[in-house]
Amino acid sequence: MADKKETYRASSVQWQGGIAKNITFIVTKDCQLACKYCYLVGKNEKERMSWETAKAAIDYILGHEEDFPEQSVVWDFIGGEPFLEIELIDKICDYLKTEMFRLNHHWFDSYRFSFSTNGINYHTDRVQQFIAKNHSHLSIGITIDGTRQKHDLNRIYKGDGPLERGSYDDVVRNIPLWLEQFPGAGTKVTISSADIPYIRESVLHLYGLGIHEVNINCVFEDVWREGDDRLFEEQLMQLADDIIDGGWYQDYACSFFSEHIGKPLDAELENQNWCGAGKMLAVDAAGIFYPCTRFAAYSLREKRPIIIGNVRDGIDKNKLRPFLTLDRTTQSPAKCLECEVASGCAWCQGENYDAADTPTVYQRSTAICLMHKARVRANNYYWNRLFRKLELEGEREQWEENKPKSNDIIC
Amino acid sequence: MLQYMIILLDDTSTSFCHYGVNKTGRRLISLDHLRRGIRFAMVENLTLQMVYPDYELPAEYHEAIDTIDHSNIVPSALGRDADVIVLDGWDAVPPSDGVAVIRTSLAHLLKHAATVGDWLARLTRLNIVITDVERMTEADCDEYRAFLSQVGTAIERLYVNGRSPQLNTLTDRMMLTAMNNCGAGDTCVTLAPNGKFYVCPAFYYEDEQDCVGDLDTGLDIKNKQLYRLDHAPICRKCDAWQCRRCVWLNRKTTLEVNTPGHEQCVAAHLERNASRELLQRIRRQGTFMPDRPEIPEIDYLDPFEAMHKA
Repeated sequence: MADKKETYRASSVQWQGGIAKNITFIVTKDCQLACKYCYLVGKNEKERMSWETAKAAIDYILGHEEDFPEQSVVWDFIGGEPFLEIELIDKICDYLKTEMFRLNHHWFDSYRFSFSTNGINYHTDRVQQFIAKNHSHLSIGITIDGTRQKHDLNRIYKGDGPLERGSYDDVVRNIPLWLEQFPGAGTKVTISSADIPYIRESVLHLYGLGIHEVNINCVFEDVWREGDDRLFEEQLMQLADDIIDGGWYQDYACSFFSEHIGKPLDAELENQNWCGAGKMLAVDAAGIFYPCTRFAAYSLREKRPIIIGNVRDGIDKNKLRPFLTLDRTTQSPAKCLECEVASGCAWCQGENYDAADTPTVYQRSTAICLMHKARVRANNYYWNRLFRKLELEGEREQWEENKPKSNDIIC
Repeated sequence: MLQYMIILLDDTSTSFCHYGVNKTGRRLISLDHLRRGIRFAMVENLTLQMVYPDYELPAEYHEAIDTIDHSNIVPSALGRDADVIVLDGWDAVPPSDGVAVIRTSLAHLLKHAATVGDWLARLTRLNIVITDVERMTEADCDEYRAFLSQVGTAIERLYVNGRSPQLNTLTDRMMLTAMNNCGAGDTCVTLAPNGKFYVCPAFYYEDEQDCVGDLDTGLDIKNKQLYRLDHAPICRKCDAWQCRRCVWLNRKTTLEVNTPGHEQCVAAHLERNASRELLQRIRRQGTFMPDRPEIPEIDYLDPFEAMHKA
């Protein structure tokens, strides 16, 4: 993802992680906002999914149960802003539930509806009715950029007027309602170059709003400027001091600080792909299937979309083979294979494809290299400081038993 | 490492592989490009293969070509000596003790098992290229299996009688000890009549813009490692060693040069399994390559499926 955003998630733990099929409906490419950093280069008001297309997609997917053996499913709705199409989404979800029941599908009662929203319409009757109807099966993420100043710098309303109007107030007013409805909230934060000076205050702001888990990562695009890694390291170390000195570490988590990153990786035993592209499925308003939304035309800068089928002809399984055989070593350059702090260094298959020298998903982008190394250094500082403090205070054992959890959710 | 170079002498040079020649107008490579291509091959230590059109080249072209050791791939219609002759159909009469290529649809191939047997009685080697292998269906598999068995019987008979012709789809796997694929982009590159390099002729005919350098700037194959076997996750674990592993077909079917489509894998494994049976049958007739182990029995036709079952 090319933007810096902070997304509140209904549940911090990825639901049925690894055993759930993720199926994404790109219901609209429209949005109320015109965020300055939005990675969706092809947003527009015309490409809205019709009911006929949505139904055809559902009929194809549920009609080919043998091709979707995963134990569970996450029906994901994105945009643009998905809640602009709440009527369609409601109809889709009703149809999914009745069809999964009618077909005695193995996903019946093992499904979830997931949303990433800008939060502006969250309080409206139509959205609230939908939430009430589907609450036990919902994951909803609301995007906010930390403080008002930071949020309104980028997340402005669409329009041609000379005055930019920020959306912070319209979003933050819905956070308490959201937290009340989904108390296990976690947050997703994405950082690009211009956001580095705000990392510390953003994370603390989110903690202050009552969010106990902040999952955060740097964008994968080649946006980094010389010296960004040093600034990033400084921000993380300041944040580390604040978290430790303020005692936030007891109940709050930030995924930048993970005990398990920064180690060399074994070429054979630790060779799995990071990204789930190809194991997911996305469908757009035209009824076209993609291995992930990042391979749709509206999110690609340089390359043509990778289309793996459509609702009429189904999925071309040959197009999935490269994704399903991807491993870490085959796509990584030598410097990654030899890297002594490789663990925890992530990638996005869509960005790899978009940035590659040829149209391939087998060339790993390393734009994030210095930022990862800076993160590792700050991590070392954080854990050394924290563990020493806990040991001096005799609290290490107790903390280990009750430590807060975070996830490396990168997209 | 680069070892071979193909030079397409004309836009209408015969195809000897999966691709079709979609250019109808003659465009002979310039003499300057030809000479510089030959010099490039000399400097880079490459073995040259010249691919001819169906008309006679000017004398100065032959003079240039003869300045370097090379092999000639020639359409049968040209009627000149060739190292490899590309037959123009099932009615062709292949040369005695020659090496020939037949390009055919699967449907036509399945009707000509007897012809293949007859040809092998004359030829040293025959390469069969199924031009629509990527459209092979499950029903086709049974018929192709039966075809290979029938041709295997003919080959067995020839071997028993002291003649040992080669057929790419059946005898190569018996002889090989490791993967031996096309090598396009890795060990082999193509010079086209426009003076530009391509991964193979198919890439030229599909899109002239898709070049990998030219005679002025040299070779520049981006992501070159993806043409190597060790960067092909399915193929590097596979033992259908005779498979052409066509990177152009790979890209056409899966969008990646290092990933074969299901149909290419299945066809190669039907051939591999038929080779296994042929080897056993020949050995029942007497001692045959005693230092070589049996080809193991496997329970899959597509290694991709085996990988995901594991």
